[in-house]
Amino acid sequence: MTEELSYEAARAELAEVVTKLESGGGSLEEALALWERGEQLAAICQARLDGARARLDAATQPND
Amino acid sequence: MSEATSSPEEPWPVRVVSQKISAWIGKLGWVWIDGQVAQLSRRPGSSTVFLTLRDPSADLSLTVTASRDVLDAGAPGLEEGSRVVMHARPEWYAQRGTLSLRADQIRLVGLGELLARLEQLKKLLQAEGLFDPRRKRRPPFLPHRIGLVTARASAAERDVLTNARRRWPAVDFRVVNVTVQGPTAVPSIIGAVQSLDADDTVDVIILARGGGSVEDLLPFSDEALCRAVFACRTPVISAIGHEPDTPLVDWVADVRASTPTDAAKRVVPDLADELRLMAQARARLTQAVRHRLDREQQRLDAIRSRPVLAHPHALVDRLEADLHPAVQRIRRSVEFRLTRAESDLSHTLARLRALSPAATLARGYAIVQTLAGQVIRKPASVGAGDALRIRLAEGELKAKVTG
Repeated sequence: MTEELSYEAARAELAEVVTKLESGGGSLEEALALWERGEQLAAICQARLDGARARLDAATQPND
Repeated sequence: MSEATSSPEEPWPVRVVSQKISAWIGKLGWVWIDGQVAQLSRRPGSSTVFLTLRDPSADLSLTVTASRDVLDAGAPGLEEGSRVVMHARPEWYAQRGTLSLRADQIRLVGLGELLARLEQLKKLLQAEGLFDPRRKRRPPFLPHRIGLVTARASAAERDVLTNARRRWPAVDFRVVNVTVQGPTAVPSIIGAVQSLDADDTVDVIILARGGGSVEDLLPFSDEALCRAVFACRTPVISAIGHEPDTPLVDWVADVRASTPTDAAKRVVPDLADELRLMAQARARLTQAVRHRLDREQQRLDAIRSRPVLAHPHALVDRLEADLHPAVQRIRRSVEFRLTRAESDLSHTLARLRALSPAATLARGYAIVQTLAGQVIRKPASVGAGDALRIRLAEGELKAKVTG
């Protein structure tokens, strides 16, 4: 599930989700939904970072 | 003889035409002329000296005759290449139909005067804006093709070519060899500059000449050359003589190089330098991006290591923990009631057992009953010969009352 979210937008939403989770309100169902969203956002962030790193490596490899 | 017009029916004789030309030429009268001696011939035994007087800036000349006396009086050391000022008038030699100047005064122009004239010319050109820094164009960072105006096989040519190729091996030159000294130098250089300026593939022009005496470098202070350089659309780099030499063209050129070697340095970048700079820039670029990526990774890691994300089971565990005491309490209360029920049961059982005669019987007591089952508590309840049942702990006996 790849969303067209920018790294920054994903990270900002992730931080929000974590804050909500940490505050501990809401039903268990809601908490689980939040947690799933958090995992998904974290995966998106990581994918963006990995992609950036891969591009960097690809760009620098022939020269090194 | 002096008809106003000629026609095919009434053509003019040669002598008439010659006379008319002579009259026209005579109208100029005496003039002062500035020029450069291109050729000088003193014929032995002849009292007449022949000179070829050139314009220093343009490719044109006039023949001058003068008496040996005039020459010895005004310019005894005259030689080819000298700059002179003469008082002369044009003469028509009807016999051969040639024109020459007859000079009655010839003065050698000394170096001091030449320099003074240059100073004047410099002020004039400056006033006209030919030296204006705002009019100067920057040569391209990396020219496609460089026009080089220099003397054939000169040190200047070699210095420019060698040093430019050392710095940028792929450099492309179009070299135009010229005369850099003597009466034909200026027209030759102007022609070369103009032809290179007209060549669209040339995007910078170098004027190069090695060191020489002040007189040797004079062509590079020529007004016509200065104006030709100023008129160029292509940027011009001047590289004339040694460091301290500044002929006027240096002021007009877009870039003044101190020497031909310096011109080579200014016209192309150093490939090795550029490669090194580029490698540095790329390294810094990559470093910056990597640094940023690392920082973002740390931020992401920090968020992911927060307990809610790192240990999501805690979410459920906590709720479970809340649940636990309730379960415990339920279990305990059930157990308690079970236990109590159990002990009630055992008490009841014990009481039940305590009430039973079995234990009494077990201690050796016996229960005596009639056959009907009536328990006999006193002897009067039975008579002699009655049958009795005796209950023991481990069975019963039959007996008869005997007394």
